[in-house]
Amino acid sequence: MKATGRPGRKTASPKSTPLQKAGANAPAEERLLVEAAQSDPARFDALYELHFERVYGFIAGRVHDRASAEDLTSEVFYKALANLKSYEWRGVPFAAWLLRIAANAVIDRSQRAFREQPMAEDPPDPGVHLDIRAIEYRARLFRLVGQLPETQRRVVHERFVDQRSIRETAQRLGKSEGAIKQLQLRALERLRAQMEGRHA
Amino acid sequence: MPKRPLYEQVDEVVQAMLVSLQPRPEKAPHRDVAPLAAIARELRDLPREEFRATLKSNLQRRASMSTNEGAESSAVAAAKAVHYMRPGFTSITPYIIVNGAAEFIEFLKNAFAGTERLRVPMPDGKLMHAEVAVGNGMIETGDANEQIPPAATDIHLYVKDADATFDRALEAGATSIYRPTDDHPSGDRWGALKDRFGNNWYIATPKGWTPGPEGLRSVQPYLHLREAHNMIPFMEAAFAAEDVGTHKSPEGRVLHSTMRIGNATLEIDEAHGQYQPKPCHLHVYVPDADAMYAQALKAGAVSIEPPTDKPYGDRSAAVKDPFGNTWYLNTFLGK
Repeated sequence: MKATGRPGRKTASPKSTPLQKAGANAPAEERLLVEAAQSDPARFDALYELHFERVYGFIAGRVHDRASAEDLTSEVFYKALANLKSYEWRGVPFAAWLLRIAANAVIDRSQRAFREQPMAEDPPDPGVHLDIRAIEYRARLFRLVGQLPETQRRVVHERFVDQRSIRETAQRLGKSEGAIKQLQLRALERLRAQMEGRHA
Repeated sequence: MPKRPLYEQVDEVVQAMLVSLQPRPEKAPHRDVAPLAAIARELRDLPREEFRATLKSNLQRRASMSTNEGAESSAVAAAKAVHYMRPGFTSITPYIIVNGAAEFIEFLKNAFAGTERLRVPMPDGKLMHAEVAVGNGMIETGDANEQIPPAATDIHLYVKDADATFDRALEAGATSIYRPTDDHPSGDRWGALKDRFGNNWYIATPKGWTPGPEGLRSVQPYLHLREAHNMIPFMEAAFAAEDVGTHKSPEGRVLHSTMRIGNATLEIDEAHGQYQPKPCHLHVYVPDADAMYAQALKAGAVSIEPPTDKPYGDRSAAVKDPFGNTWYLNTFLGK
């Protein structure tokens, strides 16, 4: 009965929207990808590639620990794959459909946690609000990290994902600590420039 | 004091973030530090590349061997019938379609201390779906479109203090039909108002009477119907509803009836005066959506959508009753 199950939602406006810009190039293209995956689940790959950062970024922003973010992201994509046939193209972007699954997964997890360990009188209310602009910003940033020059990309992962110190990172990459700090700065500057639409 | 190089200043901010401390304020921060810190803050949630790759290959494996997913999930639903309701929901939830869902949510917050639980916007800013908890119940809403026009719903809302809630609703923009009074036939302290979205709200503070072992539900849809007496046997046959109490006039007109499904109730009466039929959408959790769908069709409901597994974790079917109301028959598949 939720919106994905309700008949016909309004078609998207012809102006490109954040979800469309960051997703497939155009609604028509996305529609083709979805239909391809619906007829052959092996082609779900393309949708995963397009939307992984969006889903993960949204969930990571809600749960704030990496293990939970990974669990929930897996859950969302498995559900999406299992239910792909129920997605119907009615102008609702595929990303919105995925994010709806993600939002419910976040809420359900919070409710489960309460049932297992009720510390308060009322269950926690996560009050999920899908801030599309923030989700798109993060997804774009995460994708841009993958396009950094190799050493900068490695520094970003060592520092932010693995949370290694400058010294450890320097040892692992065979560089001086000063060089790692410089690479970290250049990576951040380049990402900032690209996010602002400037050439790095 | 000599100015430290930018890469040192940035690393200091990054290091502070990574150990979950607030960045220390710089006495004379370089103008570029703040925007770089903002990028760094987002990068703390950067996914692991190994995770991204592993999940992709696991999904590929699953895709290659998944042919019977649908049948499996139905079986899972049957096994988990006890937990057939999504947490936070009762058996009956009104789904109110409006023009201006975002404003409607504000109204629910301001007037009835609603708590927004979920909001799913469309790219054009309209809301595809939203959930607002009110008291111990839930109201779902979404923006109307060409195919789903606005569908106002009348709600009987039980609150601790009908007068205070009534006044707050007026402040939030509702208009009074009549102020709370002790003279209402229900015996409750009861007032009525309407909002700008076309919904009537019957605000009541109960005086002793409770409809079921779970106590009163805050949110009860109130259906004003023509030939309301026909709804009672229909609901019994279609949705295994129970007639908790019906008062009829000597001519057989339904003055008031409370019908229970699962752990929640809704009320009906014969349309009269300004209380006219408003075909609405009702979201009902049932132990077995497939069985209830078949039962509803047998009782005379018309199919809108046969049962399907929805990605948000429900198995859901939709039917229309002879009065024009849409019933979504859902079973929460759980996890």
